[in-house]
Amino acid sequence: MRRILAHPILDVEKPKVVKFFFEGKELEAFEGETIAAALVANGVDVFGRTEHSRPRGFYCAIGKCSSCLMIVDGVSNVRSCITLVKEGMQVKRQIGRGEITW
Amino acid sequence: MVKTDFLIIGGGPAGLSAAIETGKRNIKTLVIDEGVELGGQLVKQTHKFFGHEGFYASVRGFEIAKKLVSQLNENVVIMKQTTVTGIYEDVITAYDREKDSVIEIEPKYILISVGASERFIPFENNHLPGVYGAGAVQTLMNQFRVLPGKRILMIGSGNIGLIVSYQLLQAGAQVKAIVEIADKVGGYQVHAAKVKRFGVPILLRHTIKKAIGEEKVEGAVIGQVDDRFNIIPGTEREFAVDVICVAVGLVPSVELAQMAGVKIEYIPELGGYVPYRDREMRTNIKNIFVAGDLAGIEEATTAMIEGRIAGLVVARELTGTDQPDLERMQQELIEFRSGPFSDKVRKGLERFFSQQIVSYSKDGQKDLGPTGKLRPIIECYENIPCNPCQTSCPSGAIDVPGNINSLPIVDYSKCTGCGICVMKCPGLAIFMVQENFQPGKDLVVLPYEFLPLPEKGQKVIALDRDGKDVAQAEVLKVIKSANKTNLIHIVVPAGLAQKVRSFRIPQKADSLVCRCEEITVEEIEKAIDEGYTDYEELKRYLRIGMGPCGGRTCRTITLGILSKKTGKSLKEISCGTFRPPSMPVKFDSIIKGEIEHEK
Ligand code: SF4
Ligand code: SF4
Ligand code: FES
Repeated sequence: MRRILAHPILDVEKPKVVKFFFEGKELEAFEGETIAAALVANGVDVFGRTEHSRPRGFYCAIGKCSSCLMIVDGVSNVRSCITLVKEGMQVKRQIGRGEITW
Repeated sequence: MVKTDFLIIGGGPAGLSAAIETGKRNIKTLVIDEGVELGGQLVKQTHKFFGHEGFYASVRGFEIAKKLVSQLNENVVIMKQTTVTGIYEDVITAYDREKDSVIEIEPKYILISVGASERFIPFENNHLPGVYGAGAVQTLMNQFRVLPGKRILMIGSGNIGLIVSYQLLQAGAQVKAIVEIADKVGGYQVHAAKVKRFGVPILLRHTIKKAIGEEKVEGAVIGQVDDRFNIIPGTEREFAVDVICVAVGLVPSVELAQMAGVKIEYIPELGGYVPYRDREMRTNIKNIFVAGDLAGIEEATTAMIEGRIAGLVVARELTGTDQPDLERMQQELIEFRSGPFSDKVRKGLERFFSQQIVSYSKDGQKDLGPTGKLRPIIECYENIPCNPCQTSCPSGAIDVPGNINSLPIVDYSKCTGCGICVMKCPGLAIFMVQENFQPGKDLVVLPYEFLPLPEKGQKVIALDRDGKDVAQAEVLKVIKSANKTNLIHIVVPAGLAQKVRSFRIPQKADSLVCRCEEITVEEIEKAIDEGYTDYEELKRYLRIGMGPCGGRTCRTITLGILSKKTGKSLKEISCGTFRPPSMPVKFDSIIKGEIEHEK
């Protein structure tokens, strides 16, 4: 677990738990957190791979660098760092540029 | 089509400040923000701000965000999780991620206050997961309460690097070192002092060479640089870390401004490419304004003032009435930017319009006060725009003469020793001391923002300004403060009042498993609880067995703990691989050997 359970400045409330799927595996997240935060909390560091198969994590966490693109509910190129995790969401690693969906 | 008088793109300190001003004056204002929470980067700032009361000095960033949001009125419409995707000649488009739909907006006036993005730097393997921008680490830990790793290497000693290092310590991580390529610390001394007194080394004239790891960061190699910033061969050293945090600056996000036709200029002092604007934050396009980091990398206080200026100018034009606050805000900005830390910004802004400064006093406190009296010692030696010490003192004993850029001076005859200034100082630069408080003992009062809080009567280890152990001390009193900067009174041996500036709570006796990397039974048990149930996994996660002994001491103990915790017998557990060399050998002798044996 990488959750901060006590903090000298911030209150640590107990938020509602939601379940989502990462690469088909069920994981727990907190309501109101981003996909990126939920994944890191679950010990997932590799968010995808580049076209040349390099593992890729996320970098800026505020939607500006596009390092965190993932496939969310079948849609490629979703910025996982500014997209909130939702109950039942299917999150997958994206490799390369991702598929086009309409 | 959504019509509005004033569209603000970006709800950070600049955008919100503008919206407060126009909302107050009955102007229909729409704020569009990408994030999940308004406040921009304020929401992840857990430190108290510098500046003066009018701009929330001594209030923590995330609380400032709440205060700003609470001042918005019904004239202000907010759209969160929405990205402005394009600014065209006749319309602006925005994508609402929640509703998954695109809307079109037609505003009369526009403020672009979208901030900046993390600067990136090249080094080997910098794509690896675990390399984060400093803002990302802050977002994760302070907004979402998730720690990206336990052992951190910080690159960059500007204010962001220093602040994030301190916040990582508060969240329970270990900051192995702060690496700075220049020959002096980039940020405020008071911020640097905060991390130094917990023993974090700041390595000047050093830079990162590469990240180590296959799938994610497992370490980093740094080295000392020469005058041309190249690493001097032979000075490399390795740190075992799981996060490399890059705090080397920010780049203004000028895309939207440029799309809108705003003139963009390259001004390195302001962070790179920035939009042209005048004193009123107006660009070369009459109805488009910019404010905040997008207009030049500074800090949140100046962003708030710039936002208010933009909002007031828009209000003046839309309502056709003069705004007396406008001039006052412009004056505030001049005062904030008068100090030495704004030299660069002023030089950059000179390219757009001439700069003014107000003068301030550089003479700080000289005497250390009447020995034996309980009194504050102010260790704030730089002209930073800040004065909460002065405004917080109920007896008027502290003076920051002239304006907020001057250095604080204490009049010890007026001071009652109440300790409020210690609690309020955002730089945690004020301490209280009393020599010979008891025979053979001095008293030191320290600001403390860590968990756990020590208890009265507890024995702690007193540390000096560099985080080095200096003596055993005893906690006399713990005063909890509503603003979370608690006051801890500790009793130290006489003669140390001017030396002790921090303390640590001694660890309970640990039992070491790995002597090379200093890994304890508790750490291994915790890692197994976290789901690392394979020896090789533990090795990579904790670096157990990766020291020079090659696991001779720790391997069997670790396997034993694994077996006990997982309920599997030792037979079922893989003992992991052994890699050469079996003992450390000098590179030199390997190379020499080859040559000599061939002879
Ligand atoms: S200890 Fe109290 S009285 Fe003395 S300078 Fe600080 S705030 Fe003022
Ligand atoms: S001593 Fe005063 S001026 Fe210096 S950081 Fe603290 S509050 Fe600000
Ligand atoms: S991490 Fe940079 S866009 Fe998501």
